[in-house]
Amino acid sequence: MINFKKITKIFYPKTVALKDLSFQVQPKEFVSVVGRSGAGKSTMIKILTAEEKPDQGKIIVGGWDITDIKQSEIPLLRRQIGVVYQDFKLLPKKTIFENVAFALEVCGTSANKIKNIIPQVLKIVGLKEKSDRYPHQLSGGEIQRAAIARALVHRPKILLADEPTGNLDSINSKDIIDLLLKINEFGTTVMLVTHNKDMVNRIKKRVVLIDGGQIISDQEEGKYVL
Amino acid sequence: MLTSTFRVIKFAFQDFFRNFWLSFVTLTILILALFSINLLIIFNVVAKSAIIAIENKIDISVYFKPSISEDQVKNVQRYLQGISQVKEVQYISQDQALENFKAKHQDNPKILESLKEIEQNPLGASLVIKAKSTDQYTLILEQLVDPQYSNLIESKNFDDHKAVINRITTITEKVNYGVFVIALIFTIISILIIFNAIRMAIYTHREEIMAMKLVGATNWFVRAPYLLQGVIFSFLAVIITIIIIYPLLGFVQPYLALLLESDFNIVKYFNQNFAFIFGLEFLGAIVINLLSSYWAINRYVRV
Repeated sequence: MINFKKITKIFYPKTVALKDLSFQVQPKEFVSVVGRSGAGKSTMIKILTAEEKPDQGKIIVGGWDITDIKQSEIPLLRRQIGVVYQDFKLLPKKTIFENVAFALEVCGTSANKIKNIIPQVLKIVGLKEKSDRYPHQLSGGEIQRAAIARALVHRPKILLADEPTGNLDSINSKDIIDLLLKINEFGTTVMLVTHNKDMVNRIKKRVVLIDGGQIISDQEEGKYVL
Repeated sequence: MLTSTFRVIKFAFQDFFRNFWLSFVTLTILILALFSINLLIIFNVVAKSAIIAIENKIDISVYFKPSISEDQVKNVQRYLQGISQVKEVQYISQDQALENFKAKHQDNPKILESLKEIEQNPLGASLVIKAKSTDQYTLILEQLVDPQYSNLIESKNFDDHKAVINRITTITEKVNYGVFVIALIFTIISILIIFNAIRMAIYTHREEIMAMKLVGATNWFVRAPYLLQGVIFSFLAVIITIIIIYPLLGFVQPYLALLLESDFNIVKYFNQNFAFIFGLEFLGAIVINLLSSYWAINRYVRV
């Protein structure tokens, strides 16, 4: 599903974010990518969403080589991948319903279809009763669940979560991780980027440890050992 | 395509009303810029009218010898009216000249006594000449150097007024130039103000713009609502400026008429040039809005 082939990324003038990084994520897999701050985890996410281009190597997502993806194709890529960010990135002047609907509106989905789909997705994340609220009217955990709903609404095969619990307390963090696990059970490939050791050790799924832009260890049912 | 277009329109209005205070401030800045442009137009029109009013008061008189007949004077009048630089030539008969003289010196009994002593009218007919431009009097008078005309003429008052006329000509040229420079500076300032107001409004939306791009929106889908908002801002700004300007014009018109001592009407001027003035302002505001929005958004859609 995701294939990093000797990916190198250097930020000007000489910061090496990723160095010859190679690994694969299989369909329906749940992978935690862990490491300390500055290890290169978020850079991996940015390469997957074409926010950054690798300087060397190849990146293949769902069979599509996106290494040299054209500007005009980037929106198409992003509509096929769901992404959840640490800072949520919800649109503050749109309601939760409108925020989730936006992900479908950019695809040109009809208003009727949107009206049918959104309540179902919001029900999955437990926000059906709060669809008419604005982000500032929700708690941190609820906002992140709304962001997850937006990431899921166009049924992506891949869900990327970049430090989704970074701004949340431990109880909300647990709820978010449980939600991601539930989404994975439905068949979505999930790649979770985090530096939260306790969370990773609780999940007991594949753990890829990155440091200095390189993979240090890659273990099925691994643990995050500092 | 149609669905997306409707959505763009919806988003534009939605964003306008949901960011009401930002919209209000941006609109206010646009209105102030347009208002200052209109004040400039008023200043420009009034200045030009004042100059015309002063120029209209300038004329030169050619006094004929008392022995010259009315027909001869009227021949000279017809000749002068045929000169392209001449705007108007008014004939003052000998009798009218005498009446004017008496009225001018009505408070001077000695002069009036002297006139009675002379018994006959010592004054000749005269022609009052108005030129189309104050710098053309010399040229007009050169046409009367010909002996067939110069032998009929007793005197001209141009030499007395020459210095004044030259000074007024110089001042009007400088005023025109000054008004042009001020207009240019004001226009540039207004453009910069509008440009920066729009850029700052877009800046407050930068996180949203980046989020929309990350969710899979195309550049067009992100940009279009903001560009459309620019058109909405321009339209509203022009309408509100019109609503403010016209009562102001009505208020100042009586004072202007008094000041310029003419039938100049600023309201009528704006009415006659309504489509040109406000149409141009609307187009100008739209162009500046669109360019500044496009340029400002460009920075944030590169995600």
